Amino acid sequence: MNARMISMSSWLLLSTLCLALPVYAQPADDEGTPWFQQRIDSDKYAVIITGAAASGEIAERFRRWTVELHDTLRDDYDYGSSNIRILFDEGQEVDGVTVAGSSRVDDIADVLSTLRAEVAAGDQISLIMIGHGSGTFGDAKFNNVGPDMTGAELAAALDGFTEQDMIVINTTSASFEFSRELSALGRVVLSATRSPSERYDPIFAGYLIEGLRNHTADLDRNGRVSILEVFNYASGRVAGWYDEQGRLAIENAVLDDTGDGLFSREPGLNQADGLLAEIAYLDVIVPEEEKASPQAPALRADMQSIEREIFILRNQKQNYLEDDYWRRLEALLIDLANRTRTYNALP
Amino acid sequence: MHCLKQTSLISLSTATLILLLAAAPVAVLVPDSAFAQEPAAGLNPSAQESLERGHELMMRGSYLAAVDVFNMVNDDFYQAQAALGLSQAHMQTGQYAQAEAVLQRIIDDPADSPELATRLAELYVMTGRSELAMSLLAEVVDGQLNPPVRTLVQYGLVQALRGEREGADVQFNSALARYDGGLVFASADVAMVAVAARQLDEFHDANALFSEAVRLDGNNLEALVLWGDLFQEKFNDEDAQINYNEALEVNRRHAPALVGLARIESPERHLSRALDANPSSVAALTTFGELMMRNGREEQGLDFLRQALDINPESIPALATLAAQAAMNDDMAEFDRLLQRVNTFSPESAHFYASVGEFLGNNYRFTEAVEYARRAIDRDPRNWYAHTVLGGNLVRLGQEDEGKMHLEQAFDNDPFNVLTSNMLQVFDVLEGYATLESEHFRVNMSQRDAQVLWPYMEPLLEDSWDQLVAKYGFEPEVPVVIQVFERTEDFAVRSVGLPDIGPLVGICFGKVVTLISPDTLSANWQEIVWHELVHVFTLQMTHNRMPRWLSEGISTWEERLGRPEWGRRQGMDLIRAVQQDRLLPVGNLNDGFTGANSNADLSFAYFQSYLVVEYIAEQYGFDDLLALIYEYAEIRAESDMFYNVFGVDMETFDAGFRDWIDQRVADINVYVHAEDSPDEGEGHGHGVRENSSAILAELYNSESLKQYMQGRVQREPRDFQAHLQLGIVLFREEAFEEAITHLRTAHGLLPDYTGYPSPALVLAQVYEAMGNEQARREQLAIMLENQQHDFNAPITLARHALETDDLDQAAYYIDRALAVDPYRPEVHHISAELASRRGDTARSVQDFEVLLVLDQNDPVASRTNLAQAYLDNRQPDDARMTVLRALETAPTYERAQEILLQAVGQEDN
Repeated sequence: MNARMISMSSWLLLSTLCLALPVYAQPADDEGTPWFQQRIDSDKYAVIITGAAASGEIAERFRRWTVELHDTLRDDYDYGSSNIRILFDEGQEVDGVTVAGSSRVDDIADVLSTLRAEVAAGDQISLIMIGHGSGTFGDAKFNNVGPDMTGAELAAALDGFTEQDMIVINTTSASFEFSRELSALGRVVLSATRSPSERYDPIFAGYLIEGLRNHTADLDRNGRVSILEVFNYASGRVAGWYDEQGRLAIENAVLDDTGDGLFSREPGLNQADGLLAEIAYLDVIVPEEEKASPQAPALRADMQSIEREIFILRNQKQNYLEDDYWRRLEALLIDLANRTRTYNALP
Repeated sequence: MHCLKQTSLISLSTATLILLLAAAPVAVLVPDSAFAQEPAAGLNPSAQESLERGHELMMRGSYLAAVDVFNMVNDDFYQAQAALGLSQAHMQTGQYAQAEAVLQRIIDDPADSPELATRLAELYVMTGRSELAMSLLAEVVDGQLNPPVRTLVQYGLVQALRGEREGADVQFNSALARYDGGLVFASADVAMVAVAARQLDEFHDANALFSEAVRLDGNNLEALVLWGDLFQEKFNDEDAQINYNEALEVNRRHAPALVGLARIESPERHLSRALDANPSSVAALTTFGELMMRNGREEQGLDFLRQALDINPESIPALATLAAQAAMNDDMAEFDRLLQRVNTFSPESAHFYASVGEFLGNNYRFTEAVEYARRAIDRDPRNWYAHTVLGGNLVRLGQEDEGKMHLEQAFDNDPFNVLTSNMLQVFDVLEGYATLESEHFRVNMSQRDAQVLWPYMEPLLEDSWDQLVAKYGFEPEVPVVIQVFERTEDFAVRSVGLPDIGPLVGICFGKVVTLISPDTLSANWQEIVWHELVHVFTLQMTHNRMPRWLSEGISTWEERLGRPEWGRRQGMDLIRAVQQDRLLPVGNLNDGFTGANSNADLSFAYFQSYLVVEYIAEQYGFDDLLALIYEYAEIRAESDMFYNVFGVDMETFDAGFRDWIDQRVADINVYVHAEDSPDEGEGHGHGVRENSSAILAELYNSESLKQYMQGRVQREPRDFQAHLQLGIVLFREEAFEEAITHLRTAHGLLPDYTGYPSPALVLAQVYEAMGNEQARREQLAIMLENQQHDFNAPITLARHALETDDLDQAAYYIDRALAVDPYRPEVHHISAELASRRGDTARSVQDFEVLLVLDQNDPVASRTNLAQAYLDNRQPDDARMTVLRALETAPTYERAQEILLQAVGQEDN
């Protein structure tokens, strides 16, 4: 692990302490700009770009994914309709959703430009791309209506979002080289494919939406779905589908959240990628109902503190003998469980 | 260029090099450098031309023409060469006496004519006079300062044949030293040095030397064939085949190459061609004899072997096969007589014993195979082939440690033997497997199977044991060893040593059973286990002497008795077989297995064997069946056995069986159209059999098909296939009521039909399309009365049973689904729900433990569910350890937190 990664992971560890409760904004600075701090006063936006389809059947599939994604963000993640910008194909109407424009390069640039003027520091933007892709190194493209957009063009359009958290999810075929051009420090980028040769239409988007719906991919049961969780869910389901079909997998999703342009197939603990994705949540932070009991704040703080210790211990697992690790973890978990029980019982 | 590989591909037979060398006539283009003298000035060009032409003709297989040409050589200077050529030409056509006469006419002092004398000695060996050959070669070797390489090697071979191993090694080493000294140049001689290297177990060098010999002279057919034989001996049939074909491209009548190729493919065709070229080819006759014996054509086999022995009374392969057959028949007097015959020229021949052992092992007489392999090794500890035979058969007896030791010994000294290396690789696989034991069984299976399959296999094994012991009044030796392999190749290698075993999914060796994991199959694994267990009983009851037809017949018959839905239902196949007169006489039932040319043939062999057993049980009773089984514990004529038990001769028994079959066909009373293809499935019969015509009707329904089938049912109202296909076509057209009519008719004609798709299955689909779920479920239930390999139907019915609180029914269908595929999470989810409803906390734990292995999508949920199940089953410590792992990932998961607190609370209490 290099120094940048170590400092990043330490910062991220501190960030995870803030997950249970809304945390008030901390001033950002150039050196240690906090990413995905999940502040209660931050807004979250989603931009869904759906490109041109090669056939009627595929167009219907893209339409369905677009609508399902919109509905899931609205219903399960508390996105207001105005916070979801849809750029769909030729800009035609789609039942149930408001289309902000077509997938032409100009419209994409306009919407992003407008959004840049609206957002505040600390807001989060998720950009999801649905459609076909193509390309090789230096010439990767998204097949939108009109001249195809290149990765460099989109990267340039996103450069203006310097004070916002950014998640890019590219679900198109041959998405890898395009996605690589979008890699940047503090940004989480998902690609449905890991090489330009994976040029058949992926099924990743469907499982991504399935994982998001009803928080199905919430494997750590904290009530939120992180980008890492939904990535693991979707990529796992994709692999399972090909296995069930007895076919060789022709798509392999990858993730980069270190900004180095190197994507991981299995991000997570002890891997180069995954630390930022683990704390990047799509969920809009909703303030918790306040407890009337005067013991509540202190108890809540205790719970947070124990969670912090659990995360620290978990991240240091390899430094402990196995028995010792589990003994320590158990003690913390029992303590947390007892305090949670007590807290829940408070008026 | 190919080389001797340490692991390679597929074959099931081999031959020993030494005996091929001894028995096969060889064709060698004798290079000029082999002769002692340079041609004098003023040579007769026509004589040399005649020699060259004669060799050319011989090389191309025109032996008679070659004889004529060699006879035309009158020049005294070339008489020796002409004699050599002439003798070779005679040998190629089996005229050994004439070949001998040609050589004897010209040899005065063997030491002065080493090449001629050596050739004469080879003829002596080929015709069973090894002692004479040895003294002749000794004379040459003693009388020459530098005997030719061929003489040295042939002398060594004869000594080895006669059991003088040390003397033989001296000759082989001399040949190698000659090569190392740079004194061997000609292709023919290099090939001989290769033979010497092979005899000294220097297989890598032998391979390199053969390669050099062929490089020096691509037309050296002897080298090509001997090299091929070396590959074949190591089970490298791929490279062997290349060599034989290369030789045959030069000379398509080259008998040794044809014999070699016969051991790989099209045996009868190639052997017939070999005998056409050389009717006295001992190798061809012996190989033919072995082939006939393997295929149950004992009389023909014996005839071929006797012919071989008439030509060469010292043919160890022929003698060994005859002796092994005598041992199979428990005719130890005959065995001893043959052994004594071998002892007269090759005392206590290790190769003889090893060959006998291999033959017995291939015929399921593993205990005896081990005995003879041990004798081979006692005689010659360097006989690595014997070590392989011993190791392989010990493994089949469940004596793994000693078996492995011998296999390792064989491999260490001969790493090129594919059979040995394959079998050792399986040991590596087994090292990673779990070993599980129950009261009567020791089972090896993968770690995954140990967690998923064992919970369901263990009770099945012990229940089956109790039932079968009670029924047959016999307790097999324990533990019965069962090995369940995830990979088909490992199953095949453990079973037969090589990775291709055809359609089998389970094999019983008497004390050991090998199985393919259900995770790799799509068939009712419980039925397969039951089937193989019955083999354990019947084989051990008869000391592995039971014929295959009866063993398979009883195991297949017992399937039906194990569960009502198990067993084979092939009514249409029976009708078709009777129409085509394909039923075999009971006395020839084994031919149905050995002579099967397709999966359909094999499947029918199982089916007919089962019918015979059912006939016996029905007409004579189970006690008589039991008595018949015990008859096979002793070797006697089958007709005597049948008479002892049934009081009738075989012909009468067969006639009774035929009458019973005719009645069965009359009872089935279904019209089978001659042009309809039979259902196809795996040859072993476990698994769904596909009705290809019905499947095509599903895919390509058309008006013309409909009209054709309507015509057929009008002509033959009991045409099952026509009604079924009409039903399918009409269903596709959404003419549901009409479809139902025809499908119900089809079902009524053959209610136990289980091919895919069956009338009941299609009816279920029709009702589903009509939105009539109840009728759909009824049809699925009807289908499952006779279809044991379906997973989805019992799952559907189990879910419905749970929804309607019919817990017993749910349990039944859950078991039905588990019998087919315990690797699908959904069946365990349903089972866990059932367990919860019934308060069966132990079963709940079992289900969630399996789900933890199978369901990788949400490990937190899986662990939490399991922890709850542990808690409910009063296993607080297990609950605690499990939920800790869930909370490690999801520390704020409140459900898991509660379980932890309860578990700790319970432990404290």
